[in-house]
Amino acid sequence: MTRPQLLGVGALGLAALAAFVGTPVPARPGEIDVNQLAGMIAREEDHVTAIDLAGWIKDRKPGLRVIDVRPAEAFDDFHLPTAENMPLPSISQAAFKTTDTLVLYSDGGAHAAQGWVLLRSLGYRHVYFLRGGLGEWLDDVMNPVIPANAAPDVADAFKRTVELSQYFGGHPTVGDRPPATTTSQRIEAMKRRGC
Amino acid sequence: MNSLVLAATIGVAFGWTLERAGLGSAKKLIGQFYLSDLTVFKVMFSAVLTAMLGVFWLSRLGIIDLGQIYVPETFIGPQLAGGLVFGVGFVVAGLCPGTSCVAAATGRGDGVATVFGMFMGVLTTGLFLPRFATLYASTPRGLFTLPEALHLSYGTVVLMIVLIALGGFGIAERIEGRP
Repeated sequence: MTRPQLLGVGALGLAALAAFVGTPVPARPGEIDVNQLAGMIAREEDHVTAIDLAGWIKDRKPGLRVIDVRPAEAFDDFHLPTAENMPLPSISQAAFKTTDTLVLYSDGGAHAAQGWVLLRSLGYRHVYFLRGGLGEWLDDVMNPVIPANAAPDVADAFKRTVELSQYFGGHPTVGDRPPATTTSQRIEAMKRRGC
Repeated sequence: MNSLVLAATIGVAFGWTLERAGLGSAKKLIGQFYLSDLTVFKVMFSAVLTAMLGVFWLSRLGIIDLGQIYVPETFIGPQLAGGLVFGVGFVVAGLCPGTSCVAAATGRGDGVATVFGMFMGVLTTGLFLPRFATLYASTPRGLFTLPEALHLSYGTVVLMIVLIALGGFGIAERIEGRP
């Protein structure tokens, strides 16, 4: 057998085996590498900030899927730009591409973080959750506040926040942060403002 | 920086392999269109098989992360138009982008002219891109891959492509062996 023929047989063998195993993604659904996930959590590779997410949405990051894991009524009331609704109970039926970047969010961070574990266990590699949930989006993107006496480097960093906030119709302000309210109160206040 | 060093190393290796396969010569490449020398077909399809099987199995064994590999988005209309321009350029010059760089690096005048023309084309396209904006963004299909289009697993598509390639190699050898 000549060398090209040997290489051809080798390629055919590897291809037949590929057809047998089906997917190039090593993790099988339902399997979790606990040490790997624990390491990712410790290195804070499991979440994104609202500002990071706003940048990704604005820049139309290829393959980005923003997933709202809240119930449909809450989603219909308010959701992030480009978001799609996928309540936690239906997440196991989701069919994403392995190359997609999946960002989950909920009201707080808990349900989205649980969704993160579920999607990682289904074998998806590029999964994140919005650290502070919808509240963080409302605080940091829609209503960012910088103290009047902020240091120059903080003020410089705030310019990017202002740009993102205005892109999404937010209202950056200089001064003191208003007293804390619930997420739904802040959504209502934002709607009254005409956003 | 590491990725730049890696890119340069892979680029040099690619160029060296093309040159060793004789693809720095337009005469050899043009044989493709007269069905007298199908080296281009065989070299390029071999590269596709090597990369495809390598990526599949390295990912499967957990050595590389498939998600980090950039998959360009599909725009059917503009990519068909681009393919046509590429094909015409290939026939006229007898060289494609990679082989023209190899030809230029080995001191061939036609290679240098083709590389110059290629960069002029890139520059001109960039300058006039706003005029083509509608065509450029038309018929978008997002990240559209063969497994999705055919509703088959990645592994099955890999096997299909290997079978097509091996069949193609056999036919190419027969064609080249004709008196």
